[in-house]
Amino acid sequence: MLRWLRHLCTGCCLGLALAVAAQPTPTQVVIVSSEASASYTQVNTVLIDALTRAGVPKAAVVLLSPSELAQRTKEGQLGLTRVFVAVGARATQAVLAADPSAPVLSTLIPRQSFAQLLQSSGRKTSARLSALYLDQPLRRQISLIQLALPQARQVGVLLGADSVGKLPELSALAQDRGMTLQHAKVNGEQPLFQALSVALDGSDVLLALADSNVFNSTSIQNILLSSFRARIPMVAFSSAYTRAGAVLSLYSSPVQMGVQTADLVLGAWRSGRVPERSVEPDDFLVDVNANVARALGLALDGAALRLALRRLESRP
Amino acid sequence: MKPSLNAPRRASTGSQAGALALGLVFFCPLPGAQPVPSVSESDYLADVPIVLSVSRLPQRLDETPGAMTLIDREFIRQSGARDVVDVLRLVPGFQTSSAFESDAPQANYHGSFSVYSARIQVLIDGRSAYSNYLFGSVAPGLLSVALDDIERIEVFRGSNSATYGARAMLGVVNIVTRAAAESQGLRASVRSGENGIQDTQLGLGWNALGSAMHLSVDQRGDDGLTGSNGHNRVQRANFNAEVPVAFDAQLKLHTGWMHIDAGRGFASNLNAPLRETSYNSAFLQLDWQKAVDSQQDVALDFVHMQESFVDVVPYALAPVDLDYSGVASNDSLKFEAVRRLSPDVRYVWGTELRRESVTSRPIYNTDAAVVTDFTRLFSNVEWRATPQLLFNAGGMAEHNSLSGASFSPRLMLNWTAAPGHTLRAGVARAFRPPSVFEKQGNIRYVANGTLLLITTLARGQVQPESVLTRELGYLAELDWLHSQLDVRVYNDAVQGFIQSAQYALPGAGSLLASNPRDYFNGENFSIRGLEAQWQAHPWAGARIGLNFERSRMVRDEAQIIDPDLEASVPRSAYTVSLMQQFPRGWQLAVNQRYLDTVTLPSTSNYRGSISRTDLSLSKSLHWGSYRGDIALTLQNAGGNVLDYGKAFSFPKRAFVTLRVQD
Repeated sequence: MLRWLRHLCTGCCLGLALAVAAQPTPTQVVIVSSEASASYTQVNTVLIDALTRAGVPKAAVVLLSPSELAQRTKEGQLGLTRVFVAVGARATQAVLAADPSAPVLSTLIPRQSFAQLLQSSGRKTSARLSALYLDQPLRRQISLIQLALPQARQVGVLLGADSVGKLPELSALAQDRGMTLQHAKVNGEQPLFQALSVALDGSDVLLALADSNVFNSTSIQNILLSSFRARIPMVAFSSAYTRAGAVLSLYSSPVQMGVQTADLVLGAWRSGRVPERSVEPDDFLVDVNANVARALGLALDGAALRLALRRLESRP
Repeated sequence: MKPSLNAPRRASTGSQAGALALGLVFFCPLPGAQPVPSVSESDYLADVPIVLSVSRLPQRLDETPGAMTLIDREFIRQSGARDVVDVLRLVPGFQTSSAFESDAPQANYHGSFSVYSARIQVLIDGRSAYSNYLFGSVAPGLLSVALDDIERIEVFRGSNSATYGARAMLGVVNIVTRAAAESQGLRASVRSGENGIQDTQLGLGWNALGSAMHLSVDQRGDDGLTGSNGHNRVQRANFNAEVPVAFDAQLKLHTGWMHIDAGRGFASNLNAPLRETSYNSAFLQLDWQKAVDSQQDVALDFVHMQESFVDVVPYALAPVDLDYSGVASNDSLKFEAVRRLSPDVRYVWGTELRRESVTSRPIYNTDAAVVTDFTRLFSNVEWRATPQLLFNAGGMAEHNSLSGASFSPRLMLNWTAAPGHTLRAGVARAFRPPSVFEKQGNIRYVANGTLLLITTLARGQVQPESVLTRELGYLAELDWLHSQLDVRVYNDAVQGFIQSAQYALPGAGSLLASNPRDYFNGENFSIRGLEAQWQAHPWAGARIGLNFERSRMVRDEAQIIDPDLEASVPRSAYTVSLMQQFPRGWQLAVNQRYLDTVTLPSTSNYRGSISRTDLSLSKSLHWGSYRGDIALTLQNAGGNVLDYGKAFSFPKRAFVTLRVQD
């Protein structure tokens, strides 16, 4: 009898040990990445490194694709997630579709994409759902124009269906800084080239705002060549545009996005809350196309402009 | 174009491509996904084609290795000019003629030494428009593009064989046509007026197969110079397409055709009687450009051009024809690479193979094509030694199968003495090889199997003529009236200038004594002078241009062969150009050009002055989505001035132009 009881105890202990051993480690951070290309990989790598350095066990960080997230959600395999990080619009869309119980931080996402996703999913920004925007605040873009091209009085801007919503804020900002806005809308009635002529007419600078209806790999050649012929410098929103021929670009690099994302994720990991309101990138780069600047007779230094902009925003 | 997250709409390049491909496999579409946002991070992260890399960036005026005159589209439109020669007449150092008597209206820089424009180069979108038919001439090329199709004209005033090879001996006119992408929609113009002026043009731009395309068809005609038989009609069609063949490469296709009908000759000249002539040309140009990266471009350019000349008339005194007819063609294949080594150093190098062919029994006494093969290798380095000092050093090694090898070097230093004030100093050597006609011309008249006379028999001894140009320049960007001043002081030392002389040929076997013409390297001389060009935009809607030139030919009295040669260069000249926009779309333009103590291309013993003033008043118009303008132009307001020869004059004439575009 005693022997039987001993076997039973041993069996129970073994079973308990097995059961404990079989219990999955509670997942702390789930990162969902829209793509596996270079920019996303850089954000993810910087983010995971920073989390690990801050004491989050490496095993507690899981990197998934949107389809893997959907699969795991379906199979109930997500475990105990404390924070969801969605890198990019497609990942954000997938996380929202999974209806998670933990707070969600969307990153590397343009303000407008996030707004559209909130609207289509019927959600609002809160301590459980907010974003770190990829696009630069308009006031920073206007400040850059003032710093780099102090003589500029008229800012030309091309607006499409996805950027026309920025017009009121942009007009107000320009007016505040003593500049006028020469805007032209690209639509069925006014094709690109006509709109471009209007936007360039009398302008001292052309400000490019991301809108695939206006700026895409097909149209960029005509826009850059036309503005160059008119000797009007273009200020754009990505380093690719500076390489292509825009004289200046203001943007946040994937590394900078990764660093700021890590800060926000660590805060959420500790407090269980993401910032109640979406935040703008606090670090950025200014790229200069030296060839174009020289041809336009401009002496520009990207690093100096970045520092001047940071000082203007009271950043170290 | 709406982006799709499931199918990224932009391709990445290089190492990103592999990662993206894996990503596409790895990240399959979400079932039942919500509508995707129209803006995504790919707008910020994706690559875009490199548009403005090194070679497509023009140098700033204070960086060019020489003096430039830039003529933009707006100036061309306001000037009331009808063709390129009408615009070039306003450029410092230029002399032009509107006659169709030799081939087409001519333009020359620093001397109209003959009735052919043989000592400057004309490039249209990088394509040489040089006609190698007789003495060599850029005149038909200057006429081959309608003014309304031109974006800008860059005139390099000075030798530039270092970049463009033989023929760019005294200057280069670089015509840049309007990009098809910027010429979308419909444009039409009609012009009618005195002197039989009747011009019409239709331009249509559209997008197809992802490419921008443009077709321009036009006709211009008038009764020609007063006193001449030079009634003329020019018909042209030009098509261009910009095909984006790859993410970082573009193919440009240009093709065109031109036909000129023109009257020539004199009622009283048996050797050049009244007659009708025609000229045809057609070309195909394929220009492939690839931006290797933002620091390097490569380009491959192929051009085929062919021409035919019909100029034949029976001789009154014998059963023979006076015949200058023939065909010519040229093919060119050019490779060019531009690279920026550092922020301070960039260089271009390239090579070109060119074949020119001329066939004309009346001129060369053979039915076989006379072929000249050119091989060219060129390079230019631009080095900014300090922020104030810029060196341009380059040269072209060239070999042609007719007259051998030559090397044309150039060194230019640009020193920015103070912001907006640049001094230039440089030296360049340039060559013009003799044309096929000057080397192998053989004109003989045969009636019923009997050789009557030999009028030209080139002995082939003539060698390339050369020029050594030394120049000092000053370019100032002035706050005063928002103006720009360019001054050029130069010394063009010409060696072995190609001239002609008759010689006795007793053993010719001709019925009449033959004293045929031959070409030889004659005089050495220098053209020295000063050119000043001041352009201002003093207030809104105004342009003022003033040019002043002073020049003289210096030569050794003991070696003079042609006493009248020095009058080929005007002693002094000026241009006054005023343009003003007024309220309600009115614009007024006045352009005056004056040349003093100069001869005429076909009349060397004439000395006089030439003055022509053009006025143009225009008003812009709007009809719904259509816009345009109507202009009244009065050319040569001061009355008849001699042109080409003493018997011809440019008439005072008025015409109206109506332009419409959607």
